[in-house]
Amino acid sequence: MRTLIIIPALNEENNIVRTLEELRLHGFEDIVVIDDGSSDQTAFKAAEAGVKVLKLPFNLGIGAAVQTGLSFAKRCGYDAVVRIDSDGQHDPAFIRDLLSGIGQGHDLVIGSRFLHPDSQYRSSFVRRIGIHFFSWLISSLAGARVSDPTSGFQAFGEKAVELFSAVYPTDFPEPEATVLAKRAGLSVCEVPVKMRSRMSGVSSIRYLRTLYYMVKVTLAILLDMMKPAGRPRG
Amino acid sequence: MQAGQITIVLFCVLIILILDLIRREKLSFKYAFGWFCGCFLGLALAVFQDVLRAFSRMLGFVLMSNFIFFVCVFAAIFLGLLLTVFMYQQQRRNDIMAQRIALLQEEIESLKSHNPK
Repeated sequence: MRTLIIIPALNEENNIVRTLEELRLHGFEDIVVIDDGSSDQTAFKAAEAGVKVLKLPFNLGIGAAVQTGLSFAKRCGYDAVVRIDSDGQHDPAFIRDLLSGIGQGHDLVIGSRFLHPDSQYRSSFVRRIGIHFFSWLISSLAGARVSDPTSGFQAFGEKAVELFSAVYPTDFPEPEATVLAKRAGLSVCEVPVKMRSRMSGVSSIRYLRTLYYMVKVTLAILLDMMKPAGRPRG
Repeated sequence: MQAGQITIVLFCVLIILILDLIRREKLSFKYAFGWFCGCFLGLALAVFQDVLRAFSRMLGFVLMSNFIFFVCVFAAIFLGLLLTVFMYQQQRRNDIMAQRIALLQEEIESLKSHNPK
């Protein structure tokens, strides 16, 4: 199974090289970094490390960056794509677990930090409330039991790459993408993973933004339920 | 039907219209958020008119309608300013993309000339 690792990155010059080194240690060579309009040396350091870099001319947001990576994977004919974040939170040791889900016929495999018995990852109290709320919302509306709906540690099979390269939510995309996948008839599953704290830097989702995120994503999911399934945008 | 009731109906229609624009992907939630806040605030003040009356008198407006007009004018000015800022940002992005296209075109032509096949 030809697999591409996509890494959306925004101002992660302090983390990107270590993330790439870790991936190579685990045997992954097909890597592309999508630089989402960084103002630091993220793209330069990634290119220096010898990986392909797609430089977006300005910041488009995580959704557009991931979609760019998926479009690239589709163009190059990859069988599977794994998204991993550039801040070191996602442990590459679990990539093969994600890919085994694709190998079993699932189209979208989500790495859940809440399923792993040894996971010591703790996010903020407000974020945990948001995660549980979305878990309930997605289960109720889309019939998908997802314990970690905001996890960006995901593997995409061919059908998911085909769908999401055409239509992918913009900001805070993960919960909405899960609902879109289920409504398009894709098979979604979760595997346990361990997540770590950021190596350095600050998360783009801070406290006050968490509330906006919850309102926005809830409304987006509810409105998505009213749209025809799998319809490309534009 | 009284003015307050008409206002409530119009705000409800506006909220439904905005939701439908988002559903049809003509408008993103990010840009609709401000409109939602305005609509819900307007709806709340249309329901609790005494609050609006007391607030307008506190600010020195004799008639509540004068205060509403004043707020609407300044809201339109502020919205115009926001749109101007947004247009400028879009123009800058267009410029950057045009420059990148020109540079990419040159690179492609250069590669073609060095490798005709």
